[in-house]
Amino acid sequence: MKTVLVVEDEFGVADLILTALEDEGYRVLKAAHGAQALERLGQEKPDLIISDFMMPIMDGPTFAAQVKAMDDLAHVPIIMMSAVPETALRARFDRYEVFLQKPFRIDDLVEVVGKALGKDAG
Amino acid sequence: MNGGFVEGGVYIVQGDPGSGKTILANQICYKHIEGGGRVLYVTLLAESHSRLLQQLGTLSFFDQAAVSDQIVYVSGFTTLEEDGLPGLLNLLRREIKGRKATMLVLDGFLATQASASSERDFKKFIHDLQGQVAAAGCTTFLLTNDDGRASRPERTMVDGIVQMVRRPSGDRTERYLEVVKLRSSAFLEGRHAYSIDSDGYHVHPRFEALYATPSRHDDVGEDRYTTGAPSLDAVIGGGLRTTSTSAVIGPSGAGKTTIGIQFIGASTPEEPGLLFGFYETPPRLKVKAKRIGVDLDALTASGAVEILWQAPTEPVFDALGHRLVDAVRRRKVKRLLVDGLGGFIAAASEPSRISRFFAALANELRVLGVTTLYTMETRDLFGAQVEVPIDNISSLVENLLYMRFVERQSRMARILAIVKMRDSDFDPALREYTIDDSGIHIGQPFVGAEALMTGFAHESASEPRPAPLPPRA
Repeated sequence: MKTVLVVEDEFGVADLILTALEDEGYRVLKAAHGAQALERLGQEKPDLIISDFMMPIMDGPTFAAQVKAMDDLAHVPIIMMSAVPETALRARFDRYEVFLQKPFRIDDLVEVVGKALGKDAG
Repeated sequence: MNGGFVEGGVYIVQGDPGSGKTILANQICYKHIEGGGRVLYVTLLAESHSRLLQQLGTLSFFDQAAVSDQIVYVSGFTTLEEDGLPGLLNLLRREIKGRKATMLVLDGFLATQASASSERDFKKFIHDLQGQVAAAGCTTFLLTNDDGRASRPERTMVDGIVQMVRRPSGDRTERYLEVVKLRSSAFLEGRHAYSIDSDGYHVHPRFEALYATPSRHDDVGEDRYTTGAPSLDAVIGGGLRTTSTSAVIGPSGAGKTTIGIQFIGASTPEEPGLLFGFYETPPRLKVKAKRIGVDLDALTASGAVEILWQAPTEPVFDALGHRLVDAVRRRKVKRLLVDGLGGFIAAASEPSRISRFFAALANELRVLGVTTLYTMETRDLFGAQVEVPIDNISSLVENLLYMRFVERQSRMARILAIVKMRDSDFDPALREYTIDDSGIHIGQPFVGAEALMTGFAHESASEPRPAPLPPRA
């Protein structure tokens, strides 16, 4: 079973992702911001990270940059989510593999996660 | 609000769902950003950020490039749930400092009170928040729903309260804003209409409150302006006194707009005119004007005349007043025709305001040096009673002209009565008038007829009287 870490400050969005991915057979971990997510990464090694862009305490770009600087986690793909179009964010930050525009449909989320983990994922 | 909010102050924006709190707060935020400020927008139990940004994307003030840099949207709800008010306070402190925020919005503030274990804890949270944002110079807005409790503790503690109300009025929904409290500044008390469109939020201060005192000294006009109709000028002492307010009332088709067009047709670039109309669209007015020899196209092209047309559908009463005065100020208008005062009046949801509104409008127009002519439609073509859609019309205008149809000897005639002409000699006789391709022509006084003003004339006693008219249906 693949493990996905969801880093999202909006509890409604985080719960939506958790439910959708658990329905698909993934194991899902949650963190409300980047700093909390880094704590979780001390005990867990997820196969995929889904992170929001704007969050309190530690935002998505700062968190992703720290993940990519860790030898044992740099290979973990990161899906960056934002309500701001990617074109507006790419110029400032590009340390992620996949961009997911908010709001999204569950089917799109599942498809993006599946692709990021490989076709046999889940 | 006498200039706005005080830097570092804490303000409550309170209102029903859908009243536009979030739009107002965001509009303030993006204006703040334009001046180089930085904004922290924290949601608690509120709509998702993606929905919020989708909605903001339809508004002209929204600046997408500023999002995630100059303005950051984050949720504080999980922190509030897990760590309570102290945790939220800590998060706000860190975020304000880390992001160098100069403006904070807490959207969904009601959730903080629900998280407080006691009123004392809640008051302490407000107190600590005030100290924190004041020290950071971070102006703060707390957006909350109206839970019907007037004595909520935070209301006594904050620097200001803006209350927003939506209420049904017939088939319409009216929106009002009221500044309930504002420390360190005078403010315009009472309710003020507001509207929301693609440019965001527009407040229309209650007209008679804003212009309770005219904006400048009243220089009494001694000159006269021609009405544009020489025969009318002749019976009113040479024209209308400058800076006076006049009304032409009468039924549909009597020729009120004709007089108005002739009056506005005498405008020049040096003494510009404004045609503020409600019912007849500019193309129709231009055609009508052309028929009596007034070329509104040429007058507008030369800058002598501006036509502002309002669709008489669902305008905001106060917005109309401000639009009119703004247009007068912009072009230093000297001649004003308000064609269809009923359009104004129809926009008023509170009839008790109408007289005060027009008294304030008349005073302000007078001190701006404007000579004003209103047209106003009466309901019946014939009849002994005259119904006008405004009380105390005579007290609101200095000059009153009454046009009406009369039936006499099986012929329909049009008569004009000068009811009132302040500070002027005028001929009080009832006169028949005609309208042709050069406008209105006032004829000689009626002789040998009585009861003209009832609409059903009969000959004077000394002359043979026609058979009585049948009762009206």
